[in-house]
Amino acid sequence: MTDGHFRQISFTINDRERRLRVDIRKSLAEVLREDLGLIGLKQGCGVGECGACSVMVDDVLVDSCIYLALWADGKQIRTVEGEARDGKPSKVQQAYVDEGAVQCGFCTPGFIMATTSFVEKCKGKNVSPGDIRKAHAGNLCRCTGYQNIFTAIEKSIESD
Amino acid sequence: MENRETRLISGKGQYADDLDFPGMAHLVFVGSPHAHAVIKRLEVDKALKVPGVLTVITGQEMVKYTNPLPVQANFKSKGWTWRLAHVYAMPKDKVRWYGEPVAAVVAEDEKTARKAADLVEVEYEPLAVTGNALEALEPDAPKLYDDWEDNKQVHLKFDFGEPETAFEEADQVMHIKTREGRVTGLPIEGRGCVANYNLKKDTLEMWGSFQTPYLARHNIAATLGMPEVKVKINAVDIGGAFGLKIHAWKENVVALASKLTGRHVKWFEPQKDFIVTGPHQRDVFWEGDVAFKNDGTLLGVKATVTHDLGVESTNKGIAALSIFPACSAVPNMYRWKGMHIEGVGAATNKSFYCAYRGYGKDKGIKFIEHALNQIARKLGMTPEAIRLKNYIQPDEFPYHQINSYVYDSGDYPGTLKKALDMANVDEVRAKKEQYLKEGKYIGVGVISAIEPAGVAVPNCQMGGITQARVQITADGTIEVHSDRTEIGQGSEASHAIIVSNILGCNREDVLVKPVTSDYIGQGPLSSRGAVYPASAVAKAAKILKKKVSQCAAAFLKVDEASLVMEGGLIFSSNNPDEKLTYKELAEKSYFFPGPRGLPPEILKNHDHLLDVTTTWYSPTTPDSGSSYTSFCTSADVAVVEVDIDTGATKIIKYAHVHDAGTIIDKQIVDGQIHGGIVQGIGEALSERLDYNEKGQLMTSSFSTYLIPTAVEAPDIEVAHLETPSPFTETGSKGMGEAPIIGSKAVILAAIEDALTPFNIEVNESPATPERVRSWIVAARKEQEESK
Repeated sequence: MTDGHFRQISFTINDRERRLRVDIRKSLAEVLREDLGLIGLKQGCGVGECGACSVMVDDVLVDSCIYLALWADGKQIRTVEGEARDGKPSKVQQAYVDEGAVQCGFCTPGFIMATTSFVEKCKGKNVSPGDIRKAHAGNLCRCTGYQNIFTAIEKSIESD
Repeated sequence: MENRETRLISGKGQYADDLDFPGMAHLVFVGSPHAHAVIKRLEVDKALKVPGVLTVITGQEMVKYTNPLPVQANFKSKGWTWRLAHVYAMPKDKVRWYGEPVAAVVAEDEKTARKAADLVEVEYEPLAVTGNALEALEPDAPKLYDDWEDNKQVHLKFDFGEPETAFEEADQVMHIKTREGRVTGLPIEGRGCVANYNLKKDTLEMWGSFQTPYLARHNIAATLGMPEVKVKINAVDIGGAFGLKIHAWKENVVALASKLTGRHVKWFEPQKDFIVTGPHQRDVFWEGDVAFKNDGTLLGVKATVTHDLGVESTNKGIAALSIFPACSAVPNMYRWKGMHIEGVGAATNKSFYCAYRGYGKDKGIKFIEHALNQIARKLGMTPEAIRLKNYIQPDEFPYHQINSYVYDSGDYPGTLKKALDMANVDEVRAKKEQYLKEGKYIGVGVISAIEPAGVAVPNCQMGGITQARVQITADGTIEVHSDRTEIGQGSEASHAIIVSNILGCNREDVLVKPVTSDYIGQGPLSSRGAVYPASAVAKAAKILKKKVSQCAAAFLKVDEASLVMEGGLIFSSNNPDEKLTYKELAEKSYFFPGPRGLPPEILKNHDHLLDVTTTWYSPTTPDSGSSYTSFCTSADVAVVEVDIDTGATKIIKYAHVHDAGTIIDKQIVDGQIHGGIVQGIGEALSERLDYNEKGQLMTSSFSTYLIPTAVEAPDIEVAHLETPSPFTETGSKGMGEAPIIGSKAVILAAIEDALTPFNIEVNESPATPERVRSWIVAARKEQEESK
């Protein structure tokens, strides 16, 4: 139902059903950050180049800054805030801490979602270092030189 | 207590863009589409009529309500050329670079502000553009600043040692020219802040991505004409900085907006603006002669480095200041007879120059390392042979270099040899002929570098000021304050480690507080974190330890000398069963010392307060004039393959050996090394700020300004040597810049080696595929013509 610039939609966000009236011009990143207060994802470039706003929509990794909130209607969204279970960080999150993969931390929420999506997709498959690199090519990091992130990813795969 | 990293992986970071206050307004800037133009007319009426717009600020308001940006570095007195421009945070009548902000729109929300920003009408009269440093220094070049004689902002001249003798004694002299392109540090987060001017109290408080809150307070207060005591600056989580966030520039406009509207005002910079109107670096031309003997002994250098500084830095004088280390770093880690180095800086119609990892040290070292490789090639030596012949030896420390630097410690030959072993250099070289037969162009690059760290220069805001405070609170938790903001380089973890090691307390009981302007200091720049702030924190903790001993000895009724502090417990080695936790010690000291209280001698001296604030200053700088205190060293060896059909470079092997003195935390140090190396690789291969002939920046996004992605990042092998610095409190050396210094040079050296059959001197960066191809095409043409 459209009402001017607004439309009623519903989606599942981190296992919680939400019905909300969204501005049809808003990106999913804007709706999550501004309307739902989920500020974990970051707006780096705003044009889908840096990946700091990465979230999962129906298990697919998307740059939420160039994904209209409207498109998420009826879908399942996962953000970094929903990854901990019973107050404990997910395996991927913990690996990022243990391996020193967090420096300034600005790209980290997006990276964690990229790795989570990758690890879930690769379950039971053989993964090469090249696969790891390609799967994270859409997420830019300027601090770590990616080395400790690679180690964290490998560790997440091993422990999965 | 939850540590910082656990907070950040849960999405609980509080970066500038995450700040939210009730009734907060938003500010966006309007940038100039011209690189050089007179502002003929600027109309804001249409923008002001947009519902939700609160005000529009232009250069007129800046001139009316604020002072020009303050001077941050001044070397006018030395008989050198040193010019500073009289500029405001926004210009009133003339723009001097593409993107320069001419107006700021403040509205209820960001979208409204952007909509209104499009309605700000500006009529420009374009002026001739000065596009690069060499053009800018031509006699008829269009001038940037009317009150300057010409565009030369800086000209420094240095004589180190005996340059004339060096050249008299030389068997040979080689002429060297190099060129480095313009780059930017580009953290993933742009700059941002929220300002709140309190009308009733006439106070200003700001929160944001401030790398140096104390300096930001000084400069913002000066610009707004407020007493510093009425201004407070708070650093929040910062999404990377690398020197690019020591600013107090657009922040002044945000502060004024809050003052004029009486509202909290937020500004968060789009990434494009951060590139277009952000600090730039490098962009230098080197030319000079190197004198040496036939056996490879180095003697002297006479060279000039010309910098394209862009417009006057928004940190006035700080751009020009970076020419000092560029000149002074040339001797690197070798013995020399003498040098004459001149540093020139020209103003051009480009975005301003400021700090970025390296800050000039990289430029001097890259030049001399390139020169050494050319000399070695001419003399038929390996790159390592010429270095090993000229290194300062491990038994010569402290070593007074010809440029007045005092090198603290190191094992230069050991560092290099280890890196060569790690990269299996002999094996790669042995196979080179074979590779060539297979059509593979494989090359080995070898570079070694010192990292002058922990800057203290008089006559500027980088004078070496620092302050630290360590306090045991009444519940036994410990808070640590300093000027060292956490910008992703591990300040918080490092300080917690230092304090817990000295006090023997539990690391999780130490909370390193976010940095505010309440503590004096120039912040973490020029790798001073492990030199100044860490030394000040260690010194404060050591003084505090003495106080803990005094109080604990009184409570436990034992001899102070017998006290042991470990694992969060304090006890006498004579009676280990009677222990005090830090909580018990603090509670007793502050509130429940027993009926007789603490011993009178402690009380009289107010020594019972478990709180120490102190400062730290270099033990070498005052006497020697060495502007740096510690000198971390590194050796980089890279093996690359160049595809001669595409010009693309692939890194096959990368080895880095690092000596940062005593390591506080290996994971943090390794993280800094990895990050610096990959930034340097970007600089060597793909990053370029390209301006068109109109002075417009053509590479202003992540898809055009190419930083390395996960795909380009090679596997990096790191090893450490630890020769403790005798000059810092912890034995640690400042680090974080050596990796970028080494990597950007070593990749070019490796490409040059790979292209040996074409006899190409790789003296220009970045070595993009297009550029490498053009070198190969030209070399082939030359080879054919000479046949």
